Amino acid sequence: MRRTLSLLAVIAIAAAVPADAEKQKYSHEDYFEHYEGTKTCLACHEDEAVSFFHSQHYQWTGETPAIINAEGKMLGKKNTINDFCTNPIPAWIGITKNSRGEILSQGCSKCHAGLGKMPSSELSREQLENIDCLICHASGYNRNLFESEDGGLEWKPILWQNQVGMDSVSKRITMPKRTSCLRCHAGSGGGPNFKRGDIEYELAETDRTFDVHMGTDGGDMACTDCHAGSKHRMRGRGVDLMGSDQVGEPLGCGNGACHTAEPHAKELINRHTARIDCTVCHIPTFARADATDMARDWSKPVYSEANDKHIPTFTMGKDVVPVIDWYNGTVWAQLPGVTVTTQADGAVGMVLPQGSRTDPKSRLFAFKVHKGRMPLLTKDRWLLPINVEEFFADGDIDGAVREAAHAVYGLEDIDYEWVDVERYMGIFHGVQPAATALRCLDCHGPDGRLDWTGLGYEADPLAAALAPSH
Amino acid sequence: MSKTKLMVVVVLAGIVVLSFASGATAAKNKIKGQDVFKEFCKPCHGADSEAGEYTPMSLIQDQWETFFDEKFEETHKGVTDPNHDNKPVIDVLTEEEFDALAKWTVDHAADSEQPMTCG
Repeated sequence: MRRTLSLLAVIAIAAAVPADAEKQKYSHEDYFEHYEGTKTCLACHEDEAVSFFHSQHYQWTGETPAIINAEGKMLGKKNTINDFCTNPIPAWIGITKNSRGEILSQGCSKCHAGLGKMPSSELSREQLENIDCLICHASGYNRNLFESEDGGLEWKPILWQNQVGMDSVSKRITMPKRTSCLRCHAGSGGGPNFKRGDIEYELAETDRTFDVHMGTDGGDMACTDCHAGSKHRMRGRGVDLMGSDQVGEPLGCGNGACHTAEPHAKELINRHTARIDCTVCHIPTFARADATDMARDWSKPVYSEANDKHIPTFTMGKDVVPVIDWYNGTVWAQLPGVTVTTQADGAVGMVLPQGSRTDPKSRLFAFKVHKGRMPLLTKDRWLLPINVEEFFADGDIDGAVREAAHAVYGLEDIDYEWVDVERYMGIFHGVQPAATALRCLDCHGPDGRLDWTGLGYEADPLAAALAPSH
Repeated sequence: MSKTKLMVVVVLAGIVVLSFASGATAAKNKIKGQDVFKEFCKPCHGADSEAGEYTPMSLIQDQWETFFDEKFEETHKGVTDPNHDNKPVIDVLTEEEFDALAKWTVDHAADSEQPMTCG
């Protein structure tokens, strides 16, 4: 009976669906028989692999023309310290479990487009074969940590023991889809939307009221439609990324490629665009679907009984109003191994946008300002990293700081203290249509969101213009 | 109230009561594929089992669909279920349980958005 029903169902579906729409055709279906790891891709794509090897997505460092104090160094998350999970070196790969045996984390390499080896600056066959092409390019590809031949751990397709399934998935080659990018970029920082605030899983399948570009009833654009560069180099670095992958080709809205510098019907609004980025009005709030981490205090560990996991003290925010500030395309960054510079309020500026009202290259942009509390080496006043994976399991923050200080700086027997930090992060996604963009009074009214004096004005310029003259 | 009006009210009330009752029954009888997997599949297909370990992410969606459409009865016709008086597993699985199981494995296959072990 059951088989009869199934057969009827199949016949019914086959009758309802046109034959050519039954299955998507992929370009690589006839290119190879069996997938045998990255070397299958390298047979035809060695040049592409070499270009990817040099990219920021593989190296986790890049050129730094936008960092005014970088002095030409190649920088990225691999060799700097941030106020989220600090640095990937101490916790690159490994399985951390809680007392219940549940997996808490698998290391930072989970979001590296490699198979588990640390990226090296030296090009080699081993490094090329470490590239995981499928993590970005194969629809339906998923991977997990497995024991490697040398007794360590490596990332492998979860289908590695199912050749038929592996062959099917490995041939579904496409340009990266929204889901491919969001897998890492929406989950960074430890949870959904924790880090970025404006890059949410919601963007995978949403409508134009959430994001006019990516909404399926709007532009239905893929991430690569804007971020595409060449030779595996991505355009756009936000504000706080250390490296620039596509140097000399900054990403912007109003350069004529998609929008002009004067895209509005009303001239009055167009007059604003010379000094105000689109995002200021068209992203009224961020973290609209998932709350984002607005502050992370590593000095105050707490225990989450639900997850049997030790975590820092988080302050989460949802529907957050961005901070608006000047930005000329460059930033100052607090670098590792350098005495910290504190601001007037005593906090260390991790990444600070440069620019001012009087700087003609500066425009107003929308920012998430992330605050944190980080360990600081007392003697040299260097920021210290934390072995966060170790801490998740045992809650020993002191041990995690000392372990990471040794792994990153080679330091032993350190004295350290805690310091407040602050990072400016650009908000560029979740662009809303004109109907829900800011209105004049959102900035110029008595309860306007802009800090006019902080931005270098004596007061709201519109209010000043409308004030009775004497 | 006229007799006709009274009848209309009674019939409408009956419809409302019946629709609530059938909704409640449907909710009560909602079968979870994951529960079916744990009860009927995992005893023979757990880790290190002789019959081979299977979880939803052992196969891709196409393979699960082919398996349940074409191979399940053939490969399991001689299999008895130790947790159900050693009756043939084909006979103890109800049609609803079978459908829920098939849907759940496809939804959480290796090439799905949410690959899963049976948890």
